[in-house]
Amino acid sequence: MAGLIGILAFDKIWNINKFLYYGLIGVQHRGYSKSGVSLLSEEGLIRTTRASVAPEDLEFGELEGWAGIGYAGTLNYPVQGKGISMAVDGVLKDQEKFIEELEKDPIEAVKRAKPTFTFVAITRDGKIIAYRDYLGLKPLSIGGFGFDMAIVSSEMTSMNVIGGELRREVEPGEMVIIDRLNVESVKLFPPEKNYCSIEYIYQARIDSFVDEREIYSLRLRIGERLAEEYPIEADSVVGVPDTAVPFALGYSKKTGIPMDLGFTRTGSPIRTMLASDDFTKVVGIQLKLNPIKPAFFNKRVVLIDDSMVTGTTLKNTVFSLRRLGAKEVHILIGSPKLTSKCPYGVAVPEEKELIAANLPDDEIAKVIGADSIHWLSLEGLYSAIGHRSLCMGCMTGKYPTR
Amino acid sequence: MKVLIVGDGARENALAKSLSLESSNEIFALSSYINPGIKEIVDSTKGKYFLGEITPEQVREVISRVNPDMGVIGPEDPLFRGVSDEFRKEGIPAFGASKKNARIEESKVWARWLMWKYEIPGRLRYKAFSTMEEAAKFISEYGGSLAVKPAGQAGGKGVKVIADIQAYLSKDKRQAMAKSVNEIGSYYNKEGEPKIIVEEKVDGPEYTLHVLSDGNTIMPLPLAQDYKNAYQDGIGPETGGMGSVSGPGFLLPFINQDEYDETFEIVKRTVSAVEKETGESYTGVIAGQMMLTGLWGPTVIEYYSRFGDPEASAIIPRIQDFGDLVVRTATGHLSGAKLKVDERPSLVWAVSPLGYPLDRKLASGHRISIDLPKVREIGCDVFFGSVALEGSFLVTKGSRALELVCLGDFEESKRRLLKSMSFIDSDVKLIYRTDIGSTIQEQAEKAEIVRYTYTSRKSRGTLGVSADWSPNGGLW
Repeated sequence: MAGLIGILAFDKIWNINKFLYYGLIGVQHRGYSKSGVSLLSEEGLIRTTRASVAPEDLEFGELEGWAGIGYAGTLNYPVQGKGISMAVDGVLKDQEKFIEELEKDPIEAVKRAKPTFTFVAITRDGKIIAYRDYLGLKPLSIGGFGFDMAIVSSEMTSMNVIGGELRREVEPGEMVIIDRLNVESVKLFPPEKNYCSIEYIYQARIDSFVDEREIYSLRLRIGERLAEEYPIEADSVVGVPDTAVPFALGYSKKTGIPMDLGFTRTGSPIRTMLASDDFTKVVGIQLKLNPIKPAFFNKRVVLIDDSMVTGTTLKNTVFSLRRLGAKEVHILIGSPKLTSKCPYGVAVPEEKELIAANLPDDEIAKVIGADSIHWLSLEGLYSAIGHRSLCMGCMTGKYPTR
Repeated sequence: MKVLIVGDGARENALAKSLSLESSNEIFALSSYINPGIKEIVDSTKGKYFLGEITPEQVREVISRVNPDMGVIGPEDPLFRGVSDEFRKEGIPAFGASKKNARIEESKVWARWLMWKYEIPGRLRYKAFSTMEEAAKFISEYGGSLAVKPAGQAGGKGVKVIADIQAYLSKDKRQAMAKSVNEIGSYYNKEGEPKIIVEEKVDGPEYTLHVLSDGNTIMPLPLAQDYKNAYQDGIGPETGGMGSVSGPGFLLPFINQDEYDETFEIVKRTVSAVEKETGESYTGVIAGQMMLTGLWGPTVIEYYSRFGDPEASAIIPRIQDFGDLVVRTATGHLSGAKLKVDERPSLVWAVSPLGYPLDRKLASGHRISIDLPKVREIGCDVFFGSVALEGSFLVTKGSRALELVCLGDFEESKRRLLKSMSFIDSDVKLIYRTDIGSTIQEQAEKAEIVRYTYTSRKSRGTLGVSADWSPNGGLW
């Protein structure tokens, strides 16, 4: 899981480092444990900085330039070759070889490798090369900033944050080559659309437009679908922040059960599922979710979350809600059960860690301490999204490439 | 009738063609290079082609040799230099604003001043600066969103816009802007006149209304929209226009009849204001380069004292007997003339050599070839722009070389234009935008968004009311 960005100014008077910085923060919801940028200077030098920090905390030092790329995620990117630097969303095994080939001939390199990952790269001679995997697993968009800059990014959220504008999504299998004199599109493979369901369910930001959909509206529909599939008699609907709030809103709209804001946060947002160690996960959830008593006291509650991995997060939450006086806690998950690992780099843990892959529903409810627990059906997800060109590998074990 | 056309681009090619359709016309031309499209027309009407710099002296010389019955001046620069006055001095009717009247385009500061003096709707707040230092200081201090431009017409070059919505970035944007003020200021250097104009920034879809004026009667033409970004999907540096659309009918799909009428009213009032100030009647074409904004609805970005290029290529082919209207405009007989517009929309793609607009040298001196009969066979037409006939070769001059035009619904036109591109060959990579005419839906949404705001302003009586404030600059 990663956020990618590339910016090129048509006039070299621009120093784009702040644009890169804020643009990168605009995709840090996609991954934030590591980040880095490469900038191309007026003299044609690429310089890279990387650190195990969120983009917000990335120090640019002396780095300046008129074009550059950025990475926010869980791996060590950008990696620099001789005259090129690249960052990847997805899984690239033989990095060194690919970069070498990419530098020699980008089109040939991609044709040969037929990557299932998406990347942005910057070259010493002033080109930004961006490729979106032919399956469309990872999102990628292209936009502009007035007459001054071209921007490619995993999501248009980074364009908005710097005052730019989304033009369109890059097609699966398409390579975009941007330099001062042209923006060229090369269709390397026909699209085999297998949009990642996780993008729709929780990866993309709610103000984003990704994989041909407005994310906010789609997530409301997921909540509405949950209401149709599992109408529960309750006094209050609460969504676990941030992702599940629109689900709860949709559920509330459909059923007429009022929605409450059940939680507030201590400290800055940390995505529990992405946190790397168990300690952070446990501490992370307590930092993240401080339940608000009046939202739960003496109420039958429908609590909606976006996904469940080990169940730790929810178990702790349900425990807190009971302590605050919730009479019943019914859990709805805004996605089908996650049961398999993702080979394309989405942080779904190994099967043995996934509670839904190991226990039947009633046992899970017992572990979590909930009165009931239900998952959105696959059909429900299809209908909320409105098409079936999806990769649902982590839910079905069926992957587009095997 | 002998018609002398002055200018060398695709717009003049389109004008020449419309005039040549009246079989009694002989077309003569004065250009700085041999435009292959104009040449074809000059030859077929048994006129004569003159090469030379387009200066008043040169034009006088050619007038004396041709003894034309009428002059048609295409580009703005000759108008600014008084070329149409040279015709009128000899008693020859001319299609083209006088030097004094062309000031509505030449000086953006004068145009804004005029709009405020005559309280013409669609005006924006502005500041004019005579030195770069003052302008840079204002820009780096100021709190609002700004458009910074050369104070006069500079071929669309040098326009910068900064939006201050993203306050945390504004320092960097302002610094870049202050740095480029020097460049912007260098585009317009006229003794005793401001160099830079800074205006409040507005947002919305753009469109252009061209209006013919014969000194007494004025006649609005169908709307057109041009596309300024150099590269595909509306990305890239500013150009003179990489394509345009016009229609269907008199409108564009995202502009309604009321907005058209209001726009016409704005241009009409501008013509009267100009005539009042200069004491000369306005003869030729005037265009409002408009934006539909939340502030005003129809809002003037700038004026043209001539046809826009590539808008001309989109508009002229849609009008029946346009050549006759040109003659009537020049001779003061527009009253009672009928305007017959082809209901079908038009789509224009400009084709330029790689290098345009940032590296003109790279874009110059390349050979280009086109199978004209094949393009015409599939129902498209070609107007030649920045390309010269040298011997038997077409050689690029550094700007937009060709404009391809097609009438019909946008999807069908796009297919035919793509096919046309296969009949064009060059030793340099050619740049053109296939997205032109396919973003109508997005424009419609943009228009709808600003419509919410300006209709609400209208009902509250706050059209055009705006202000900015900064701790250092104060209220503006």
